[in-house]
Amino acid sequence: MFEMEELMTGTDAVAHAVRLVDVDVFAAYPIRPYTGVMDRLARFVANGQLDAEYIIADGEHSQFEIGKHASSVGARAFVGSSGTGWLYAMEAIGVTATDRLPVVALVGNRALDDPGAFGVEHNDALLVRDLGWLIAWASTAQEALDNTLIAYRVGEDPRVRMPVAIAMDGGYLTHSEHLVKVPSKEAVKKFLPPYSLGDRVLHPDNPISIAPQANEDWVMEIRRQNYEAAKRSRGVIIDAYREYESVLGIHYDNPFIEELDVEDADVVLIGMGSASVVARSVVREMRNEGKRVGYLKLRWYRPFPSEEIRKSLKNVRSVGILDRNFAMGAPDNQAITSHDIKSSLYESTNHPIVTDFIAGLGGREISRKEIRKMFNLMESGRTEKVYWIGVRE
Amino acid sequence: MSLDTNDLIRLEVNYRGIFQKTLAKHISTDVVYVAHSEGKTAFSNGRYSDDPQRNGVPCANFAYISKSLSEEDLEAEASAAMDIKEAELVIVLDDTMVKGLEPWGHYGIRPINEKVISGGTILFVSSRTPAELSKLFERKSFSYRIATIRGEASFSGLWYFRDDMTDVRVLGAIAKLNPGIASIESVLSYVKSKYKSDQKVEAARTAFEEVTVAEVTPEEGIVWPYPKPVLPGWKEFEEGTVVRAVKRGFSLGPRGQNRNTDFKRGTNRTQRPVVRFDICTKCTLCWASCPDEAFDPTKEGYYDVNYEYCTGCGRCADVCPVDDCIVMVNEMNLTSNESFYNQYLKNPSSYVEEIESIKGKERTIPEHITGKGNIVKRVEKPKAFKEVR
Ligand code: SF4
Ligand code: SF4
Repeated sequence: MFEMEELMTGTDAVAHAVRLVDVDVFAAYPIRPYTGVMDRLARFVANGQLDAEYIIADGEHSQFEIGKHASSVGARAFVGSSGTGWLYAMEAIGVTATDRLPVVALVGNRALDDPGAFGVEHNDALLVRDLGWLIAWASTAQEALDNTLIAYRVGEDPRVRMPVAIAMDGGYLTHSEHLVKVPSKEAVKKFLPPYSLGDRVLHPDNPISIAPQANEDWVMEIRRQNYEAAKRSRGVIIDAYREYESVLGIHYDNPFIEELDVEDADVVLIGMGSASVVARSVVREMRNEGKRVGYLKLRWYRPFPSEEIRKSLKNVRSVGILDRNFAMGAPDNQAITSHDIKSSLYESTNHPIVTDFIAGLGGREISRKEIRKMFNLMESGRTEKVYWIGVRE
Repeated sequence: MSLDTNDLIRLEVNYRGIFQKTLAKHISTDVVYVAHSEGKTAFSNGRYSDDPQRNGVPCANFAYISKSLSEEDLEAEASAAMDIKEAELVIVLDDTMVKGLEPWGHYGIRPINEKVISGGTILFVSSRTPAELSKLFERKSFSYRIATIRGEASFSGLWYFRDDMTDVRVLGAIAKLNPGIASIESVLSYVKSKYKSDQKVEAARTAFEEVTVAEVTPEEGIVWPYPKPVLPGWKEFEEGTVVRAVKRGFSLGPRGQNRNTDFKRGTNRTQRPVVRFDICTKCTLCWASCPDEAFDPTKEGYYDVNYEYCTGCGRCADVCPVDDCIVMVNEMNLTSNESFYNQYLKNPSSYVEEIESIKGKERTIPEHITGKGNIVKRVEKPKAFKEVR
């Protein structure tokens, strides 16, 4: 079922997934940390391990256009970028969603830099959260590989047909080495049916035209279709994880979230990405000290797991959000994840206090000590709605 | 009951981009595998802010080894930061780094032994003796060890790995210097199973046996002349990501040009250009071609290298039209960054004599002079002093 278990970086893990799904077309334009994937994929092609069209684009905008067009003619496509490169592709990113083309893209989270900052910040991926992209968030290299395989299955499902972004922390996850179990090609073949757009494929034998002029007569209906597809994706994701487990034996308790000691917790921290490893370690440590703390990790950001969050937090007194992003002038000056969590909790019977912790921007370290500080602030009763943790005063 | 990290061993592998990137990765990854083979937990990463794809740039990989921590706790402890503050074992793959390095512009020039802790070890791949090396780095307030395995800085490549056995030799030395990371038996059986080559096993074993170790006392080393960086808080920054430019200023002669004092880059160098002013024709090509604008024009019409800023790229030696006029010299043959031109002015013929003795016999003769591509030749009798003016 597995071809190997090896030490590899997060970007290597994604590249292996892309090789295993046997993509037909992938496009690249270098930017750290995405470059790691293109290096590895180029090697797979050169070594004959992957038979794909590798197109080096003249920039991210063309790169994402290539992915979109390849997908429309029935080629399984992979693209990706980071930070400002991702932003440069934004026009194509928006239209890929409208055209309902199941491209899978890696967004190796990186600051939207002017001053040459490569470090992780989640704003790049979060910018597409409302456009009709599904977003899976990896916090380990194994998850990055699993998420990529699952992304193709979910995105290409005829009930969904949406592009999927694989978000992954630049540096902490993309450039450190972890043991990753790489499934065999046969197992992946069993899990992932061949890519087919059915009668929506652009082909001389199937004369169609995609995305003609859609004025005020059509746009609202198109949006409504996308809205329904996003809603349907929840069920498809659940199915995909079930199937993933039955083929590969890799088990996830819940596709959308991962809970650590949340059930009887008094205070819970919520976050995503590589800082989860640190948070989980601190929770175990504080549990040993008798503190009723827990950590909730988001694995999918779109569709947003509101139901799971309400259920998980139904007895919790105080909630902290680990926001590795910024939202200038936003409600209560809190950052993005806070808003999604708070809005989910509005429909809940339990209304815990929500404190926002803005931390780790631009790749700043989030240490065990700082996570502890967050728990302590929550436990002792916070005086602010937002805390900047780790900024040099 | 906080996490017990007492048995954590931290390893720093210092290397230069571009040619040692794959080599450094081999070492940090192999350490993790070997430690795993002994049932330990281990983790490795590279310093993300580095630019290992750029020539000469100092970079670092890290590995962490523990007997008691779980994988996740080790990762939480080790991976949250992109740099380390201390290390039990520091490895240096290019001995010219002993003169200090600039990991980032605003960090200034930091000593290579900055991270070594009391009782720790710093290992160089070098053909110098420990005593020759330790007199160049920072004096510390405690004792620790310096070790060497013989060899010149490896140029094993980036895309293609030209194996010169430095990877397994370092592994062998690690087993000797810190058996807590792995025993030599584990290293040898790992090398054997990975490479299936008796030669590689032998290389690791020989390094284990031949590594030279010496004590570094608190008297050794120099008082580090460069200040520790102090990064300002958010209220002290200028808004809009503005950084004020260096004050304009220029006069003829050595050190006549104003340059950024916070970012010198001279530590990127493994070799430096040495100019024979006596045979220079004042053609201006070196000055015009230097990508780092490291030349100071002098009153007499010559061009003097400011070694604090020269990155050692070799471009000037490549363009100089006069045979043997600019020669790249191993950085370890020289210690001072002082102006050579001042020395030349004082006594032209003794300057020539002195630099010819330092330059060594091997010279790379660039293509436009040989007409057959770059060649390295051995010069038995260097050109004698001869002022052209
Ligand atoms: S080697 Fe020559 S060209 Fe290169 S930085 Fe130094 S002085 Fe300039
Ligand atoms: S290139 Fe050579 S000859 Fe020309 S000015 Fe420089 S040192 Fe003199």
